[in-house]
Amino acid sequence: MLAIVKRVGIALITLFIVMTLTFLLIHKVPGDPLYMWAVELAQEYGMRIEEAYEEVKVMYGYDPNEPLSRQYINYIKGLLRGNLGTSMIYRMSVNKILVKALPWTVFVLSVSLLTSFVVGMLMGMVIAWKRKTALDPIVTAYAAFTGATPDYITALALLIIFAANLKLLPMKGAYDSALTPGFNWPFIKSVLHHAVLPISAYVFENTAAWAMAMKGSAVSVLGEDYIMAARARGLKERRIMVFYMGRNAVLPLVTSLAIALGVMLGGATFIETIFAYPGIGWFFGQATTRMDFGLMQGLFLMTAAATIFSNLLADILYSRLDPRIKLAE
Amino acid sequence: MSVAAIPVRLYRSIYEPFIIIRRNRRAFIGLIILGIFALMATVGPEVVPLDTTQRFDKRFQWPSLEHPLGTDHVGRDTFQQIVHGSRDVLLTAFLAAVFTTGIAITIGMLAGLQGGTVDALLMLLTNVILTVPNFPVMMIIASVWKVKDPVSLGVLLSVWTWGGLARAIRSQILSLKEREFIEAARALGLSTFHIVFRELLPNVMPYVAINFFSLMRGAITASVGLMFLGLVPFKSTNWGMMLNLAAWQAGAIYVPKALFYFGSPMACIILFQLGAFFFASGLDEVVNPRLRT
Amino acid sequence: MIPLLSIRDLVVEFDLARGALRAVNRASLDVQPGEVMAVVGESGSGKSTLAFSILNLVPPPGKIVNGEILFDSKDVLSLSEEELRKYRWKEVAMVFQAAQNAMNPVMRIADQMIDTAQAHGKLSRGEVLEKASELLRMVRLEPSQVLHSYPHELSGGMRQRVIIVLSLLLDPKMLILDEPTTALDVVTQAYILDILAEIRQKLGLTMMLLTHDMSIVAKIADRVTVMYAGKIMEVGRIEEIFYDAKHPYTVGLINAAPSLVGDIADKKPIPGSPPNLLNPPPGCPFHPRCAYATDRCREEEPELKEIGDGRLVACHNWWLIG
Repeated sequence: MLAIVKRVGIALITLFIVMTLTFLLIHKVPGDPLYMWAVELAQEYGMRIEEAYEEVKVMYGYDPNEPLSRQYINYIKGLLRGNLGTSMIYRMSVNKILVKALPWTVFVLSVSLLTSFVVGMLMGMVIAWKRKTALDPIVTAYAAFTGATPDYITALALLIIFAANLKLLPMKGAYDSALTPGFNWPFIKSVLHHAVLPISAYVFENTAAWAMAMKGSAVSVLGEDYIMAARARGLKERRIMVFYMGRNAVLPLVTSLAIALGVMLGGATFIETIFAYPGIGWFFGQATTRMDFGLMQGLFLMTAAATIFSNLLADILYSRLDPRIKLAE
Repeated sequence: MSVAAIPVRLYRSIYEPFIIIRRNRRAFIGLIILGIFALMATVGPEVVPLDTTQRFDKRFQWPSLEHPLGTDHVGRDTFQQIVHGSRDVLLTAFLAAVFTTGIAITIGMLAGLQGGTVDALLMLLTNVILTVPNFPVMMIIASVWKVKDPVSLGVLLSVWTWGGLARAIRSQILSLKEREFIEAARALGLSTFHIVFRELLPNVMPYVAINFFSLMRGAITASVGLMFLGLVPFKSTNWGMMLNLAAWQAGAIYVPKALFYFGSPMACIILFQLGAFFFASGLDEVVNPRLRT
Repeated sequence: MIPLLSIRDLVVEFDLARGALRAVNRASLDVQPGEVMAVVGESGSGKSTLAFSILNLVPPPGKIVNGEILFDSKDVLSLSEEELRKYRWKEVAMVFQAAQNAMNPVMRIADQMIDTAQAHGKLSRGEVLEKASELLRMVRLEPSQVLHSYPHELSGGMRQRVIIVLSLLLDPKMLILDEPTTALDVVTQAYILDILAEIRQKLGLTMMLLTHDMSIVAKIADRVTVMYAGKIMEVGRIEEIFYDAKHPYTVGLINAAPSLVGDIADKKPIPGSPPNLLNPPPGCPFHPRCAYATDRCREEEPELKEIGDGRLVACHNWWLIG
């Protein structure tokens, strides 16, 4: 119990440090970002600069002329109330944007992550078990290739080949904007249609990594006495491969999976940007390129918090899955 | 010149590793690839001219003798751009790796040697660095501080990446600290400075060397990624900028003939990464004799 | 009597990078039904490899290169994959050395029992657990406590006993035990030996016991086989071996075992060390350490000869011994 409390404590401290660092980073920006937005607001609505500036201050929720410590306290107070800030580009609260973007990200990434994990794990298991197959060098080469290729290149390549040139799949968006969202078949079909490329890009890029991880883990498990003992007991090969080697080999991977699920909440910036898929990653990309500090800060904190806590959960989960491990005090 | 004529130290640090790499086919290929890129980055821009005139009638041409990799969206030669861009790309990656290693060694050694509160605080910091994903952080920093040259970009890339290496160095220091030769050195009254630089550091170096290549690979992926997103506006010859232009501005994705324009930076990046990966695994063999077949 | 197990001219080689290592060198052996045969030898003598061969489970890079193994008149080495799988455990079961790791760490004991039984026939969970419980009580373990546990939750001695139960689950005709007590403390050792004796009596089991510890042999064995450097040097009944050994190595082993009475300084270890099996000396493998070695020993490898009823020796000068 004490071990869990200690870990939660560290997670919270880490989160707090991140909040502070984010604050310092964004509020120490050279120049005055508010001014830039005020100018834009003034031009758009025909206001005077001073008025626009006051508007922006209210929207952003802070006054750059206040002492830093005051700003910091307001910031923390806001966060504790669950207010992640306001987006200047979209003129709405970050929370609202999250609600719009999160479902798309979770949809695409959870399908991608689970598919690549399961396929990769099965591949790795089979390669490790049957030692000299033709599959082994193929998978190893595939892993080296995808390891060397950054994920934006894979996504870009898929976009160019399948969307732009072969015109088999759509170029952008989560669904055809002409359709009305809802539980109707045309909409759902469009959603699936638009999800194929992003999911394929992710799965193509990441499956090999899972396969190699599983292979490594499985090969070391194969050296254990209980595998040979299971053979001596006359158990069927398939049963040993899955329940004796597989179940033991997959344990370290489950931790990675849990962490990856958490990181998923930060969105896949590259894949979403390339396919103009309106998930969290896409919005974060927009925020950084168009200097919307409110959105940047809010989304980043959410990503950081998700990652910190999924690490925590993964830690605890592992100790539950492997009956031999007790959380180190 | 017979092998016996080479002094032992030189043999061990240059000749023997070279032979090991030579024997390992993958590592040797990696070395060659890296060598070609190194040549491209250092000598290339001096040897290959850069013609920046825009000729719209020559856009997106297939490779020819005149233009070995074709032309871009405004008629400029792709090959020239690749060669000229390589310098900044590789320099940035190199600097990023150097800075990261510097920070990691400092923090790792401090934490390992000092112990106590210093160690605990440094490890807490390292934990934060490791837990929070580094690319979003880099995106934010790039957004806030406009980066214009390879050195600043190198710094940006190293700010959040030293965590893993620092932790590894600290563990190595911790285990080395217990070993007898450190006790012996202390007993002999050798200064801490001596212990750090003459005893500890050389033991840590092999690991650092192998890791250096991973860091370079990561730096290239990250820097090209940042440029691709438009967060780091560099010269258009930089591979990352080429990808950016190709994808967002040049309409290159729609033109099959533009294959070489966006394909070239892609291929260069992939090749470099593979080369670095293969070579580093060969280095691993040099350092870990047990891996040698 | 027809022997239950009959090994003839078994040769097992390990194909290593440095060369071929002959772990078992033309071994021939008979085990009669109902007896306890102890196979004695130091580590590296080839006894474990011999045991694995009986299950045709020699781990790569090892291979059975020559020989014949007949179990209950079945030719083990020519069984198909499926027949071999059925033969293993149902006919011959083995308790491995350092059996602590012989069980899957993420499965409960009960499930591993069920797995074993169901791989060989259609028994229901209930039937398997009932049988297992009965056997657990025979080894003096409490079924309700053990069956629901994971392997690491049990002590070393308990795990050893669970492994023994696992091996008896399918009523095998023969049980091979590889150093069943080495990893345990002396008190638990005695306990396990008691249990083994009890099992043997209650189930009428044939046992092959591999060990380097002569004191265990004395407690439980009927006949003894002595192995050295992969070669069988002597076979005989326990009294014959202990009181009238005919091979210099056997004599050395018996003298080397410390006795409870007498000075520890009286212990006479065998001088020298076991040979390098990659490059064994010519002639008899024991000759470098043998007090009785003659020129013939250095050149000609002695054959295993029958010198009495079931009494075998591989030594040129056996009649000089004792």
